[in-house]
Amino acid sequence: MSTKSTREAAMRAVLELARGDDKIVIVSPDSVAAARAVPFRDEFPDRVIEVGIAEQDAVDVAAGLATTGMKPIVVTYAGFLTMRACEMIRTFVAYPGLNVKFIGLNGGMLGGEREGVTHQFYEDVGIMRSMPGVKVLCPADAGQAYKAALAMMEQDGPVYLRLGSGREPEVFPDDTPFEFGKVREVLHYGDDVAVFASGFIMDRAIAAAEKLKAEGINATLVDVSTVKPMDSAGVTAVLRRTNCAVAVEDHNIYGGMSSAICEVACHYHPCRVIRLGLRDVYPRSGKAAELLDAYGLSVDDIAAGAKRAMEKD
Amino acid sequence: MTVEELSRMANRLRLDVVETVHTAGDGHPGPCMSIADVMAVLFFEELRLDPQNPRWIERDRFILSKGHACPILYAALARRGYFPVEELGGLRSLGSFLQGHPDMNKVPGVDTVSGSLGNGIAIGLGMALGCRYQKIDNHVYVIVGDGEQEEGVIWEAAMAAAKQKAGNLIVFADCNNYQSGGKVTDLSSLYPVEDKWKAFHWHVQVIDGHDISAIRTAIANAKAVTDAPSYIALKTVKGKGVPYMENNNAWHKKVPSDEEVEIARKALGGAI
Repeated sequence: MSTKSTREAAMRAVLELARGDDKIVIVSPDSVAAARAVPFRDEFPDRVIEVGIAEQDAVDVAAGLATTGMKPIVVTYAGFLTMRACEMIRTFVAYPGLNVKFIGLNGGMLGGEREGVTHQFYEDVGIMRSMPGVKVLCPADAGQAYKAALAMMEQDGPVYLRLGSGREPEVFPDDTPFEFGKVREVLHYGDDVAVFASGFIMDRAIAAAEKLKAEGINATLVDVSTVKPMDSAGVTAVLRRTNCAVAVEDHNIYGGMSSAICEVACHYHPCRVIRLGLRDVYPRSGKAAELLDAYGLSVDDIAAGAKRAMEKD
Repeated sequence: MTVEELSRMANRLRLDVVETVHTAGDGHPGPCMSIADVMAVLFFEELRLDPQNPRWIERDRFILSKGHACPILYAALARRGYFPVEELGGLRSLGSFLQGHPDMNKVPGVDTVSGSLGNGIAIGLGMALGCRYQKIDNHVYVIVGDGEQEEGVIWEAAMAAAKQKAGNLIVFADCNNYQSGGKVTDLSSLYPVEDKWKAFHWHVQVIDGHDISAIRTAIANAKAVTDAPSYIALKTVKGKGVPYMENNNAWHKKVPSDEEVEIARKALGGAI
């Protein structure tokens, strides 16, 4: 499967918007190169505020900028942003509801792959989801990341956009829609089981749905690209048809999209939801595909998870 | 205002703090007293503000980074006309808009959330850059504690602000040598702190923080430097002006009794 960079795609969207809105600036804790924001800096050198390798400062500076009506984007590695600068995001941006956007790189094992645990982040979605007032987007590929970045900038207030390494499998045609705050049915082979997937694991979820179909199990595959606010109505409508689900994401099994699906299921349509993700362990360095296979996110794992979800007890 | 009038206003604010914390039954009076003089100069002379239009885009910005000293910020805002003085006693109570630490959306005249220590200079830098980018000719004033400078993000902001040549950013440091747990000099190797700011390429001044004229002059000097941020160390006395609070760190967070309010009232020249 071919890959395409979510980083490049999202920053292309930001640059296009910036041409029509001079309030858009990037706050960089030495992340311009990593974020693929060099074209932005070349075109708008006075609109990249470089603060050095200092994520906490970057978020505070962005908060200050936002109070003056600017539209700052802080972009850097997901963990340095959501963990090191966590309190700054919560207290100085989310609490006053300031219009600061956050882009986290290296989301998941796939995002960090060979870098190892220090540069792989599988807690970011859970952390950001727990903050009142913060919206969370996890697009499935580069085409979706482009549209997610456009949608993010239309929102007033803090939004977290999760991106990867720059080598994400390309799964959807370019004309695939992205609707903020809505789940989208990708495949509807039937209502035997729902597969909820989020982020750069979508190629595997598609392959799993096809594998299941070949075995006579007809699944509905749902792209959960907005993790917060969760589309409770959309998720519930699917669960009412299938009465069971597997939720798969490149994130720890606590706090991320699968947790959010379980919250909806508990409240609106109690049924079995099998969660597939990193099983509360730290993985290791390796090639992205090998890592996902090694830590329970292979196509076979997803298909097996769907079957477990369908078991009656 | 004259120096004498500003000095009286500083004592008025000090007494407001004592009365506020007494009425509210909670709050940090000691950390307010050491910054009363600079607060008087800023809010009653220096800051370009419009209490009728708190979000006026052209205004000067003010950040009380040591946000636990907010009783004196609230007193200054009330005396400046942002809201009635009678509201001050609501501090920290559920029905009041006066939060335990400053909230920019609840208290008119407050420019940012503050109180989680260390963040005011970085936020002020963002304001300074945002204003400069939009060609707003103003200044951003920040008050930090001395102990607060033990926070790492202070020094991240110090590096970034100098690199950005943020000449419209002016930081006052309330150097009273006390923090919650004791003397700054006993808890860290912060001092001599002025040398550190010089090494970070800031314009640095050290003055008597209770000398109104010196504060005025230092601000004028800082504003004359347009290619570097300014750090003004205010040599101060924690609890200044209230005899039983001066250099007594028990008053970092403590509620005065009825009798102690009366002592403060006399010491501060009565209700002016």
